[in-house]
Amino acid sequence: MLTINLFNGLVYGALLIVMCSGLALIYGLRRVVNFAHGSLYMMGAYIGYSISLQSNFWVALVAAPAVMAVFGVLLDRYGFRLLQDRDPLTVVLVTFGLLLVIEDSVQTYWGKSNLSVPVPEALAFSVDLLGTPVPAYRLSVIVIGAAVALGLSLWLRYSKVGLFVRAASTDPVTTSMQGVNTDFLSAGVVGLGTALAGLAGVVAAPFLSLSPSMSADVIIDSFVVVVIGGLGSLAGAFIAALVLGMVQAIGAVYLPDAAVLLPFVFMIAILIWKPSGFAGSRT
Amino acid sequence: MKKSLLGALLALTLGGVVSVLVSSNTLLSLLTQAIIYAVFALGVGVLLKQNGMVSFGHALFFGGASYLIGVLLQMQRIPAEWVIVLALLTITLAAFLIGLVIVRVPGVAFGMLTLAIGQMFFLTASRARGLTGGADGMNIEWPSHLFGVSMSQMLKPASMFLTCWTTLVVVMLLLAWLMSTRFGSLTEAVRDNEERARFIGIRTLLPRAAVYALSALVTGVAGVLSALNTGFVSPESLHWSLSGVALMMVVVGGFKALWGPAAGAVVYFLFKEILGEHATHWMTIFGITLIAVIVFSPTGVAGLFERWVLGKKPSVKVGGH
Repeated sequence: MLTINLFNGLVYGALLIVMCSGLALIYGLRRVVNFAHGSLYMMGAYIGYSISLQSNFWVALVAAPAVMAVFGVLLDRYGFRLLQDRDPLTVVLVTFGLLLVIEDSVQTYWGKSNLSVPVPEALAFSVDLLGTPVPAYRLSVIVIGAAVALGLSLWLRYSKVGLFVRAASTDPVTTSMQGVNTDFLSAGVVGLGTALAGLAGVVAAPFLSLSPSMSADVIIDSFVVVVIGGLGSLAGAFIAALVLGMVQAIGAVYLPDAAVLLPFVFMIAILIWKPSGFAGSRT
Repeated sequence: MKKSLLGALLALTLGGVVSVLVSSNTLLSLLTQAIIYAVFALGVGVLLKQNGMVSFGHALFFGGASYLIGVLLQMQRIPAEWVIVLALLTITLAAFLIGLVIVRVPGVAFGMLTLAIGQMFFLTASRARGLTGGADGMNIEWPSHLFGVSMSQMLKPASMFLTCWTTLVVVMLLLAWLMSTRFGSLTEAVRDNEERARFIGIRTLLPRAAVYALSALVTGVAGVLSALNTGFVSPESLHWSLSGVALMMVVVGGFKALWGPAAGAVVYFLFKEILGEHATHWMTIFGITLIAVIVFSPTGVAGLFERWVLGKKPSVKVGGH
């Protein structure tokens, strides 16, 4: 019984890793707390649904994040870049308006009823994990989460573009003085962030059904993760995502009332005592 | 001040006229709802205007006031008039204590903090079936008479409208008076440059917590009106999306002018009812309007009005540094 709960916690944690790394990246580069991130996740899921209706799940897995990446680049170019000199709260309110527009547009286009995406046949079997059978698809979600975490960490640490991203997150002005095209870079990173949100949406669709409340369900948890991990810190977000996933999964069974409140208590405590979160501002 | 008093008297007369002339009960109920939201938005707007802080969790005080009234009335120990006073006092005190802790947190972190606190109470109310009726909500059992007026008389659309409208006007008048005192200038100084305010000897924590408590009180008043109007409260009244809607009204209406949030509430309801008749995606249009207002006219509808009609010069500051 414990195994399956821990497992589900890992699955949700992996999903949060994919989502929140996008959120953390966008914050790191543009200093924007993207309230619309949950709706981007939802958009990715619904677009993935439509694509998988036309072809199959695997195409959707690649195409939907690609579409979201384009959307993200446009969002940065015509949204965040033009507003970068304004007060941060202004941009946050704009993302809030964006959240409304996206949520409503998705509802208008795809309707308000719950939609389901079937698990792809290639992964529709059970794997034996420590004596408990678990769905292979969920196991692959964990694999995807781990791959994203590892991939992003390696990319940021060892590649030249990753170095530019880290530099621009720390000090955009000096970085651009050194000759890095920070606007281009920001557009790319925001595109990557939205693509990650979209990927999380496509991946989540088979085991969490598509509903208009998707974005609201997940945005609060994402904020909790990013705040606890430290706004802008990827490693912190990874750890916090896993911890949150576990706390929720285990708590839901053993201590339902306390478990839901615990993440918030933690988040409040951190915001009051150390607004920069656990990992601080180090990437 | 005299101008405000005159304006208030005019507004009250206008309200009286409307309540007599408008015979459509649906329209009156709709206007009443809009007014209640206007008071809610006013609370959020006060915080933004005087403190420069954005709260995503004010629904806590809105729903909280309604829930407090519901629970206290259920106990049937205290007369309803005192229940209202007690509920508002509790909300204000609680907000002051919360404010003492959280107003020190800067910028967006404050917003997220209010979000977290609000959601905590939402989740608690959704689960406490014994006390609050859980996710189903609870009925508010008003007695047959309130402040000497019979309930059935008070609940008539025209009188409900008049009660809410009068409350709105009185609250705005009181706020306008308060902001014209030294307290108002003091909090504005703290908002614009906290460090400098401290340098000239102002203790910044208490005024800011006081403004937070004040904004909670105004929002609580809206909660009381809502409890009267519908006789029911559910966890949705505590959800952050409701706070978000109020915030939107404040931004669209403009928070620099005191009447801005109320104007924003009117715009929101216009969109919802009139546009909503013809377009199911009115929220999209409202969202785009919100973005447009933020980008092009940060002082909102009220700011636009003041600039075009009254010819005032614009001066913008969200957050204030």
